[in-house]
Order: sequence, then C-alpha cells, then structure tokens
Amino acid sequence: MKVPSLRAQAAATVAVLAAGFTLVFFYAPLDTEGFIQKIFYLHVPLAICALVGFAVAGIHAIRHLRSGDPVHDARSYVSIHLSVIFGIAVLVTGSIWAKAEWGKWWVWDEPTLVSFLIVFLLYATYYPLRYAIEDRERQARYASVFAITAGAFVPLNFLAVRLAEPLIHPRTFSSAGGLPGSMLLTFVVCLAGLALLWLSLVRFELAAKSASARLSRLRRALEGEARTPVASGSRIAPGLPARSASATWMNDPTTPRT
Amino acid sequence: MPALPLDEAGKYVAAAYVVFVGLILAYVAIMAAKLERIERELGELAEERPVRASDGVAVQNSDLAAPVAPEPDDSKRRLDAGRAQESSVDLGEASGGGVP
Repeated sequence: MKVPSLRAQAAATVAVLAAGFTLVFFYAPLDTEGFIQKIFYLHVPLAICALVGFAVAGIHAIRHLRSGDPVHDARSYVSIHLSVIFGIAVLVTGSIWAKAEWGKWWVWDEPTLVSFLIVFLLYATYYPLRYAIEDRERQARYASVFAITAGAFVPLNFLAVRLAEPLIHPRTFSSAGGLPGSMLLTFVVCLAGLALLWLSLVRFELAAKSASARLSRLRRALEGEARTPVASGSRIAPGLPARSASATWMNDPTTPRT
Repeated sequence: MPALPLDEAGKYVAAAYVVFVGLILAYVAIMAAKLERIERELGELAEERPVRASDGVAVQNSDLAAPVAPEPDDSKRRLDAGRAQESSVDLGEASGGGVP
C-alpha cells in the first residue's frame, strides 16, 4: 500500500478537521445539555485518540522487544509523546465542560475523570524513567517494558470505567439508544480528523528525528575526517548509501556512541 | 441562533476549542523551530565540509541535500520497498538515547 506524503496527509487532516468543526457548529443539533454539548465533539475523539495512541505505543514496544529494531522504539516514544499532548487537551477540555455543566473544574468521585488522570500521570512518568537510564539499549528496553505494561492498563481502565456505578459522566455510546444520525456523523468526522491529526503529527515528529539523526551522523563523519585520513574502513564508506553505513555503525558494539 | 453564542455556554465552548488549537499550534511551532535549527546546522556543516575529492567521497552528498525535508530523498526512493525499515536506522540513532 502506498503511503501518502506527509504534505498530502497534512492537507487531508486540515480538510477533514475543518469539515468536522463546520458540522459541529452548523449542522449537528443541540441536545438537552444545550450548546455546551459542542465540546463533546472535541473532547471525546481526543480521549479516544489518546488512549488508542497509548495502546499503539504498547504494540510498537512489543515489536521492539521482539525484533530489537530501534525504529519501533522511536515509534513507541513518539506515540506516547503525542498521546500525552492529546491527554493534556482531554483534561483541559473536560475540565472546561465540567465547569460549565457541574459548576466545578474537577470532580474527584467520578471514576471516568480520575481513571483518565491516573493513566495520564502514569504515562507522564515515562519521560523521567526513560532519561534516568544512560545506556541507550537499556533505556530503550526499559521504556518498551513500561509502554507494554502501561498499554495493558488502558483497556482495563476503559472496562473499569464502563462497569463503575454510579455514573454522572455522560456515556457517548451506550446500549440504550445511542447518538442520532446527524450527531453520529459529526462525531465520526471529528474522530477521523483528530485521528488523522495524530497520525500526521507522529509522522512529522519521526521525520524531525530522522533529520536530527542525519545531522548527528554528518557531524561524526566530518569529525572523523578531520582526525584521520579517509580509508576503506571509514564508517561512511565510499560508494555505500549513508544509511547502510549508519547501520554498520549501529551494529558495531565497539563503536563509542557520542 | 448564532453559531457561537458567546454570552452563554458559548464562552466555555470557545475556550475548549481555543485551548485545543493553541496546544497544537504550540507543538507545531516548537517542532518547526527544531527543524529550522537542524536545517541551519546542516547548512553550516555543508559550508565547513572539507573538499577531499582526491581521497574519495567521505560524506555522501545526499546527506547534505534537502536536509530537513519531511521525507528524505533516499527514503523516497525506497518508499515502495519498505520505507519504515529504511528509516529505522536514523530513528534508532535518534531514539536510542537522543530523543529529546
């Protein structure tokens, strides 16, 4: 399957998000909550994307542990990074909704809110855990174990929230009824737009990390040139693609990593 | 009814959407600044790069070309043949401890 370019994907993201927000304000009907219900079209898809992103990070972490391929570690890291950012937006938009609807910014006896906060704080500890370890391989391995463990907590958290009683937080999809067609369409378009946004930002950040890695590789190569004459054993060998040379560098345990 | 009745619950709705847009814009601005720095440093490296034609090409010219394009040139070439696998090395270098 051909992967669209990042630019095309970003354009599609903007178009779908614009369509979604247009539907929110000009098409979707008001329900019994009134106008404040419009936050639902932003808050709930953000929460879904964040939780799915945490689960995706866990899947990449499993692939990293199985294969040892650092690309999966990078994807796991970036997925968690973007999901934490989305999580911040979930907490803020949820608090704004709670203030308007309940008169309070936060309610501690509501399992939905507190469990999401726990998941968010759990993933917030990913960064200090990761950077407390200096050795790169151990760092990546421990981070993957963390991502898997925390990722397993996400569906458990979702189930616990669904089973919890009493519920004052509104249910988006319930067995009784569900959303009317126009609201469901608006919700699905917003969900698609935010999912595309999450994917685009993940690709954007991965591309930035790739560029940063190329810069580091060039620096090392130029420093090597300055110290020693170029020989056949040079890390970036003549005639070899830069990435292949870099792969050699990555797999050489005797090479100091600066 | 106007699309956004700011005198009622609309101010909360507006605040929620503004927070979301602001957060995304802040993220994109930070990433853009980072990419700009990388591009500048790559430009500086390209200027400082020693000319060693007689010794062979120590640094691939492709590394200096289009340094911060979202899809690196050589990865475009290999896109159909498994782009993710090709980019793994670069990302691995970045992520193995260099993830900021």
